[in-house]
Amino acid sequence: MTEPPGDAVTTPTGTGPASTDDGDASRAAGAGPSGSGADRLVGGALLVGGIATGLEATTFDVAFLTDPVGPKALPLFVAVTLALAGASMLARPREGVGLPPRSAAIRMAGAAGAFLIYAAVLPWIGFYLATTLVVAALAVLYRGPAKGGLAAGLVLTTVLWLLFVILLALPLPVGELWTR
Amino acid sequence: MDALSGLLSGFSIALQPINVGLALGGVGVGTFVGMLPGIGPINAIAILIPVIFAAGMPPESALILLVGIYYGSQYGNSISTILLNVPGTASAVVTAIDGHAMTRDGRSGPALAISAIASFVGGTLSIFGLVLFAPLLAAWAIRFGPAEYFALMIFAFSALSSFAGGSLVRALASTGFGLWLATVGLDPNSAIPRYTFGQLQLLDGMDFVVVTIGLFAVSEVFQLLEETDRGQEAAAAIGRVAVSTKELALTGWTMLRGSVLGFLVGVLPGAGGTIASFLAYSTEERMAGRSGRFGQGDIRGVAAPESANNAAANGALIPLLTLGVPGSGTTAVLLGALLGLGVTPGPLLLEEQPDLFWGLAASMYVGNAFLLLLNLPLVGVFVKALQVPRWILIPSVAALAFVAVYAVNGSAFDLVLMTAFGAVGYLMRIFGFPLAPVVLGLVLGPLMEKNLRRAMALSGGEWGVLFDSPIAITLWAMAAASLLVPTLLRRWTRELVETTPEEGL
Repeated sequence: MTEPPGDAVTTPTGTGPASTDDGDASRAAGAGPSGSGADRLVGGALLVGGIATGLEATTFDVAFLTDPVGPKALPLFVAVTLALAGASMLARPREGVGLPPRSAAIRMAGAAGAFLIYAAVLPWIGFYLATTLVVAALAVLYRGPAKGGLAAGLVLTTVLWLLFVILLALPLPVGELWTR
Repeated sequence: MDALSGLLSGFSIALQPINVGLALGGVGVGTFVGMLPGIGPINAIAILIPVIFAAGMPPESALILLVGIYYGSQYGNSISTILLNVPGTASAVVTAIDGHAMTRDGRSGPALAISAIASFVGGTLSIFGLVLFAPLLAAWAIRFGPAEYFALMIFAFSALSSFAGGSLVRALASTGFGLWLATVGLDPNSAIPRYTFGQLQLLDGMDFVVVTIGLFAVSEVFQLLEETDRGQEAAAAIGRVAVSTKELALTGWTMLRGSVLGFLVGVLPGAGGTIASFLAYSTEERMAGRSGRFGQGDIRGVAAPESANNAAANGALIPLLTLGVPGSGTTAVLLGALLGLGVTPGPLLLEEQPDLFWGLAASMYVGNAFLLLLNLPLVGVFVKALQVPRWILIPSVAALAFVAVYAVNGSAFDLVLMTAFGAVGYLMRIFGFPLAPVVLGLVLGPLMEKNLRRAMALSGGEWGVLFDSPIAITLWAMAAASLLVPTLLRRWTRELVETTPEEGL
């Protein structure tokens, strides 16, 4: 459906397979502060991403130009900026980037997973059920009690329903599962 | 004279019941979100934008509400800074020094009171500056052509990158990333798709609400997960929230100087509240000399940065409204909101939509008065909100963000994008890339490209046109100076560099 989260930061182009994993890899492997390796990875990814951005920009050809600059100029400028920044980071990487401890990284991945599942099931099971569940899941990740999280989800969903549907007359998706 | 009659007509708009209500609601929400972890002004504004669009609010009312949140949050942020020593934004770091020292001495009441009063002084004086200078700047900027606008935007980017705190290289990379995001989608001139990866949903480009909420709010949700292992700090009990006349007399000039300094710094792009509060604090510290107890709970150490950062916040509205060029992440989001409401800020705004400008200025007086009147008695109530457990607060913020993002296009794909940007934003935070330049690049990128192409079309492809007028050359020189001067300054003063990475001023 789309690229994995974390892709866009390191490789704005998303075309370089080598750099696609950088963000996630450094996060998963990360336990405590690291040396300059992680920073070098990001710098390298920026460099590769910048080059890929530039290469892609050269394909933006139009049959006849409506203006002398065309659609290439800004992307090329961006590409050079990103590549130079990446090269500079490679040359002088920063020590001791504060990567999260393993337990926190696992919970972050859990939260990201919950958000993606939320996006996937929202049209299907509807806003009310999905939101209650995602709030409960997040509450647990934040070390709250499961029952309390569920209660918070129910209260919040009710408040949002009052606010959006009743007060502002903005429909929220009810879910195909129930309307069919 | 002009300003006076303009303001009078503005009050006839600002005092309409709905707009008084919105100003009150704005500063109330602003105080609240400024105080809590995880939201902050930029998210509160971004989350409200789809709601405002959907509610079909008229532009002047929408702006009154959004700007109320904007300056209200400056004050809310000081509450948690003073009580808990957790500055939510870089501009509050200075307040924390003496503010929290006063709390440790059991003087949190006076600290909160002087912060409210200084915010009020800084806020109201700078609105004065706003109504005086905005028309002048607008009259001058009317001569700007596309080449001048292009140079001005380059200046905005270089200034924000340079002052964002931390590494210039990383800030420039953030700006580049934001500009890259701006190019995603169909090119408006030639209608060819750029960087859409064959995704139909990306043809319309990246929505700044989705990107902003992802980068700031969702990444904060991730970041705070890391902190749950530490306990939640309890707020100290507050005494009576009031200052003595002696303290007021002591801080009077401090607040005046802070306001003027803050306003002047705020007008410049990029610098904003952080630099303003640092400068105001160090000026007062030097002027007080030996008589001061700066660093150990001197009340002037709270008054100076508080008046300065509120004045700076209002000063930053001048380039936004009269030039259409914001200088910070939060004002960039405001620009996005204005464009979405069909308002194009720029030198013609005052002439074409005077109600919008003067109504806003007048409502800021109303809002600042509310802030002062409400916060002195009600701060105790607000502080109760700091006791809500994180496991309720943060998931609630996340759910609000989801609804807002979904409301933009009614598409679940935007929720996926938001999550991706959340991960990106988190990684950017830990690797020291500032987030505000991304938003500025995304919102300003299309305007910059449009002006570049227009200038080049007028000149028939002659690049020299970009450096053809004295105004353009001045702006290019300022852009270059903004990149070079701070780097040189850093060599001399280590102090300014020690700012925490800013979070959308």
